[in-house]
Amino acid sequence: MASDYFILVLIASIGLYQIVAITAKLDGLCFFKRPLPQIVFGALLIAGAYIWFFTSDERNIQHQVEGSQQLGLFLGAIVAGYVVTGIISSAIQAKVKTRVDNSQKEKAHEIGVESLKTNTFLGSIRSRMKKENKKG
Amino acid sequence: MPPLSGWTIWITGFVGKVPTLDQVMSLFASDFFTPVTICLIMLGLWLGYPDRFERERMQRTVMNTAVAIGISTLGVHIVNAFWNPWPRPFLVDDPVIRESARNAAQTVFYFAHDPSFPSNATTIAFAAATGIWLGNRKAGIIVYVLATLWAFARFYAGIHFFVDILAGAVLGILTALFICKVFMPRVEPFPTWVMKLWRFLYLG
Repeated sequence: MASDYFILVLIASIGLYQIVAITAKLDGLCFFKRPLPQIVFGALLIAGAYIWFFTSDERNIQHQVEGSQQLGLFLGAIVAGYVVTGIISSAIQAKVKTRVDNSQKEKAHEIGVESLKTNTFLGSIRSRMKKENKKG
Repeated sequence: MPPLSGWTIWITGFVGKVPTLDQVMSLFASDFFTPVTICLIMLGLWLGYPDRFERERMQRTVMNTAVAIGISTLGVHIVNAFWNPWPRPFLVDDPVIRESARNAAQTVFYFAHDPSFPSNATTIAFAAATGIWLGNRKAGIIVYVLATLWAFARFYAGIHFFVDILAGAVLGILTALFICKVFMPRVEPFPTWVMKLWRFLYLG
């Protein structure tokens, strides 16, 4: 049950990140160039995760996944989903290309998620590491 | 026996009459469906704003809501530790209530054996709804609807008395109001430091 729950949240969160990337204009998290296939893909992941979880087994049974464990699994799964999304979108580079010599991106590394508007996830981390190395 | 316990006989009397309704209530009563949906809504609000100042405001709302959920759960555990006024409806002495609730719980949910009063699920859901409502009215109303459906489904499933649900909702709402309006503004700069940590980790 715990592993199923983790997979449910992981897949649903990846779908959610794709939809949210459109509304928040976080191009660095996008898997697709155009918004429509991205929203459809995100919605399918969320719906698919729910349908799989609730139809693959009986879930209303006495189980061992208590509240605190559910919270831990949820947080682990959404962070894992975020990292997976970041890695895949960095590999695909559907909307933004990684270039670390751009002054806007140099500035963007200071503002977390905001940097994903103009850079990929891995590109943002690389950019920040270069900046830190220059400082050092 | 709690006040309004007769309502349990009335509501659980519907179980078994419309199988589709039972299935829908079974989904909403689940330990997973509503909490995962509410948490995904919170995650969507966390990242979903294009303007970074608006996003930070919403991230503070979500952080306050998460604290409210945690503190309200603690509140339920404290109440349970000192006061456990009645058992689950399917465990009471009154045979009419017991058998009706037992049938409902078996059909829609399962025999939960943690304390009945107050409803932990309802407390969490209403704390979440109130916290979110303070930052985003539309999302808050959606979460209130989900919270109400979750609470109703558990009443329908015969695992809570109406008073358990009502007390859970009041506890959740009051805790969220206290945490979001009184507690969190007074513990600055800790929330700001946490926000900076999220930004450093590319999570905020």
